[in-house]
Amino acid sequence: MTQIHDATGLAADVILGDGDGDAGDDLPPPEERHRVRAALLTIAPILGLASVFLGWEAYVRIMDLRPLTLPLPSNIFIHVFDNPGFYWENGLVTLKEAAIGFVLAFVAAVVVASIMAHSRFMERAGLPVIVLVQSTPIAVLVPVFLLWFGFSPWPKILTAALFAWVPFVANALTGLRAIDPDTHELLRSTSASSWEIFWRLRVPHALPYLFSAARICIGLALVGAVIGEFFNSSEGLGNAARVGQSQPALNEQLWGSVFVLAFVGVVGVLLLATIERRVLRWHPSQSLV
Amino acid sequence: MHELIDPDVVAKTQQGIHFHGVSKWFRRKGQLTHALSRIDLDIEPGSFVSLIGPSGCGKSTLLRLAGGLLEADRGTVVVQGETPAQALQRKHYAFVPQQPALMPWRTVRRNVALLGETNRKARMKGVSKEAQLELIEQMGLTPFLDAYPRELSGGMQQRVSIARAFALGAPLMLMDEPFSALDEITRADMRYQLLALWERVGCTVVFVTHSIPEAVILSDRVVVLGARPGRVTDVIDVGLARPRSDAQEDSDEFHAGVAAVRQALKAGWD
Repeated sequence: MTQIHDATGLAADVILGDGDGDAGDDLPPPEERHRVRAALLTIAPILGLASVFLGWEAYVRIMDLRPLTLPLPSNIFIHVFDNPGFYWENGLVTLKEAAIGFVLAFVAAVVVASIMAHSRFMERAGLPVIVLVQSTPIAVLVPVFLLWFGFSPWPKILTAALFAWVPFVANALTGLRAIDPDTHELLRSTSASSWEIFWRLRVPHALPYLFSAARICIGLALVGAVIGEFFNSSEGLGNAARVGQSQPALNEQLWGSVFVLAFVGVVGVLLLATIERRVLRWHPSQSLV
Repeated sequence: MHELIDPDVVAKTQQGIHFHGVSKWFRRKGQLTHALSRIDLDIEPGSFVSLIGPSGCGKSTLLRLAGGLLEADRGTVVVQGETPAQALQRKHYAFVPQQPALMPWRTVRRNVALLGETNRKARMKGVSKEAQLELIEQMGLTPFLDAYPRELSGGMQQRVSIARAFALGAPLMLMDEPFSALDEITRADMRYQLLALWERVGCTVVFVTHSIPEAVILSDRVVVLGARPGRVTDVIDVGLARPRSDAQEDSDEFHAGVAAVRQALKAGWD
């Protein structure tokens, strides 16, 4: 007992001695360093993007590549800004197809996952179907959709929807199913109905899963719409790229379509991130942003 | 519950929780485990009873049988003259799980209100908003009223879990090792916070724990369980006066209680 007493006495002395010796030790760190770091972190994404385009630009100029091999990114930007009407119209067509496909995929995935989350039987019956869709190269279905719907937006919308459906349904299912067993038991201890457990526990728990699926699915819906346009279309950015590829004189149009498609995807992801920040304020992922 | 309850038994046990020859088996991967064997136990209304025993002795199973979350294979459980399933439907249980089990998308305030919101058919709608705030205040959570669980320490999260249980205003409280994940300093503090709330409310508490001193300082009676199969080996009355305080942890009665539980555990092991 005395030994323990001695040890604490010693520790207290050390702490006191430290405090007496150097009172300035306990001041907060200077503000300046903190602000520089924060500023650097803010502009880091812009620096990352700029380095890609500047590197590309320099590479083409130094190697003196033909535009048909790889054009200057600056020329592509100029070309796009010279033809705003063309890219606006075609971009809108592709965006509509992708957006409708995205929403269809989301709704269908949530409905299917909710049914599957409600019963063990439905889950076991539904899983092989999901795996089947997951393992089928969806692009091969585009000719089938063309056969069914012909020269309309629907083959492209369906392709976009099918591309986006797989991650949506997989994540929705995980989100609705993988709930915390203790919280589940807690709700059961009040005799909560499965409807209440669905709305109060499963749905909020699934939200972060749905958001991370949505981030992937924005890109996938655009891929689906573009692939649909490759097969048979007279409009849209996929079609513009295909036409651009077929004629050397339209090389800039091919690259312009790529740039505008990338831009549409980025805007979609940024929009989603804004919504996510509002809806998922409670989620640990948001403390990093 | 499939078994009918003997009306005589019901008449005798209008209150409290009563086990009569209760057995429970579990089947895992085709293997049958005898979790609990012929449990006879009476838990007085308004008392604080701890269940203690080695791992795998069925403490948590016993708690869940009392709470209607599991069903007995043999024997009867009577809770305030009803089956546990009936009491569950009436929301007569406030449950405190081992993990805080807070909803991460709800603030502290809304987590505390949770149990009153579900199963609206039951008459138990939870305590008033004012009483909820008072509970939050008493657990020292007022500064975190609108904080999300991820912003709280483990101890604070478990305090929310306890406030949430008391906010239901149920006559029975079931606590499944609620302090086991906390550090010793935090849990020592929380024992008395829990006791202060319980002394105001006067509900019946069944408290599962691994800690002998915790069982003694909290409880009126400590139920000692043995393993393989789980059974009650001893029930020890704790003679400490109420309200309890940490000063009693140095008293002879406390040490006597700790020694008695330890010896009972050892006897059950041999």
